[in-house]
Amino acid sequence: MTGKRTNSHFRKLLVGYDGSPQSEKAVDVALSLAACLDATVLIFAVARPPEPATSVELGAVLDDAREHFEEGFKKILEKARSKDLAVATGMAVGHPGEQIIHRAEVDGVDLIILGRRGRSMISRMMLGSVSERVLRYAHCPVMVVH
Amino acid sequence: MENVWVLASVCVGLALLATLVAIWFKISTALSEIVVGTVAQLILGAFFVHSDLGAKTGWISFLAGTGAIVLMFLAGAELDPQIFRAKWKECTVVGLVGFFGPFLGCTAVAHYVLHWAVRSSWLAGVALSTTSVAVVYAVMLELGFNVTDFGKAVLAACFINDLGTVIALGLIFSPFTVKTVIFVVACMLVFATVPFLTPRFFKRYGGRVSEIEAKYLLFLLFAMGGLAVWAGSEAVLPAYVIGMVLAGTVGKDHILIRRLRTLTFGLLTPFYFIRAGSFVSIPALIATPLVFLALFFAKMFSKIIPLFPTVKAFDYQKEEGLYFTLMMSTGLTFGTISALFGLNHGVITQVQYSHLVATVIGSAVVPTMIANAWFMPRHLLAPRPEERTTLPQTLSKNAD
Repeated sequence: MTGKRTNSHFRKLLVGYDGSPQSEKAVDVALSLAACLDATVLIFAVARPPEPATSVELGAVLDDAREHFEEGFKKILEKARSKDLAVATGMAVGHPGEQIIHRAEVDGVDLIILGRRGRSMISRMMLGSVSERVLRYAHCPVMVVH
Repeated sequence: MENVWVLASVCVGLALLATLVAIWFKISTALSEIVVGTVAQLILGAFFVHSDLGAKTGWISFLAGTGAIVLMFLAGAELDPQIFRAKWKECTVVGLVGFFGPFLGCTAVAHYVLHWAVRSSWLAGVALSTTSVAVVYAVMLELGFNVTDFGKAVLAACFINDLGTVIALGLIFSPFTVKTVIFVVACMLVFATVPFLTPRFFKRYGGRVSEIEAKYLLFLLFAMGGLAVWAGSEAVLPAYVIGMVLAGTVGKDHILIRRLRTLTFGLLTPFYFIRAGSFVSIPALIATPLVFLALFFAKMFSKIIPLFPTVKAFDYQKEEGLYFTLMMSTGLTFGTISALFGLNHGVITQVQYSHLVATVIGSAVVPTMIANAWFMPRHLLAPRPEERTTLPQTLSKNAD
């Protein structure tokens, strides 16, 4: 454990993951931090149903999300194993911001790490920014990776 | 437009645009296709008099009709028979109350307040009596209620509610003749036998590249749909019930369901929803906005008033407020199918159809918009960490 800070304030890290390059970058930052701080990492993905949800489409969206995230998780877990890091994965359904905030609180997470998508103004107005919501309501420090 | 391929490219192009809009704004593809169909028809009508999206063309009607039938089958196949067996009393009562409240309430408002004809008013009652199973299920997944007894009962009740809508649509507007009796008896026989025959047939001949399962199901749905139309009923009625009775067998065949989804989303439903949207007249909606408001509030109040004491009677007092709100949401698929049936059979006019579809969309979208506009993390309002300890079945195996 040479070079690791075992008395760090950040023992549990949560990374918001959606498979985008930005979230991959956030995962890389989280793994680097975890290696330095001897922290555990939870890679957390949220499947967002279309609004308003319709019967057949909802099932299809959930199935696709599960497959998409599973694939991403597999790669991340391989990377973590090669670095000897403690990484877990989790999924939920709903609004990503809210689910991340809730999971972080339930699990007693010390730091949330997110990638910034850089959406357009219209998209932000319509959908809201996940990182802004998490920054506003999270119980712990939040790191947004550009 | 008489060139089949030009017309097809216009429709599929609009479907492509609608899908992009759905992706950008994270809205359902069905909603996006209805809106794109409406706007496209408005633009086309403004620039080319007598021009339309070919909505009344035979082959478009066939593709759209097949889309509706397969959608209803897939919607029925999502029922969990075990939940229904375990909670049949509660879900039957709540489902029937959830159906009859808006069915009778909206019919009364359409007839006595809006002065619609009797048959048009019944059609309004049918179209607005539905409940969106998907909206209820999506929120249950979010809050973790999908694994609680109350959540399961409400979900099963939504299926009963929609079954009431489909039966009402299939029987109210059909003339009661010998054909009706033959249709009902044939339905009983088919519904009783297919759950036993289908898995055996699939086991013996299924799993080949010739997609015999899809052909078998389409044959069954078309044959029963044909019988329904012959008897003066509606083809979606047997499709929904066949989906429900096959939910425990075919519904669990994930690969088959995915293939049917691909067929439905890729080819059939774009024609259905764009066609449904193209019949909506925006000028008619702008001219009489109060009709929309009357139907919208009739739907909301007639759903909540009878459901409140009913759910309370079953000692479910904790989360009922949430579920009442959810059950007020109208299913886009059932609502538009009912309204389109009325338009196609001359039960309602295009103006009435426009108001009904607008109300269906409104009652599906407004609760979601309100929830988003007043977004506040629930844990800050009422901390209940035990709510979300279990992930949905489809995702739970991946949880850490």
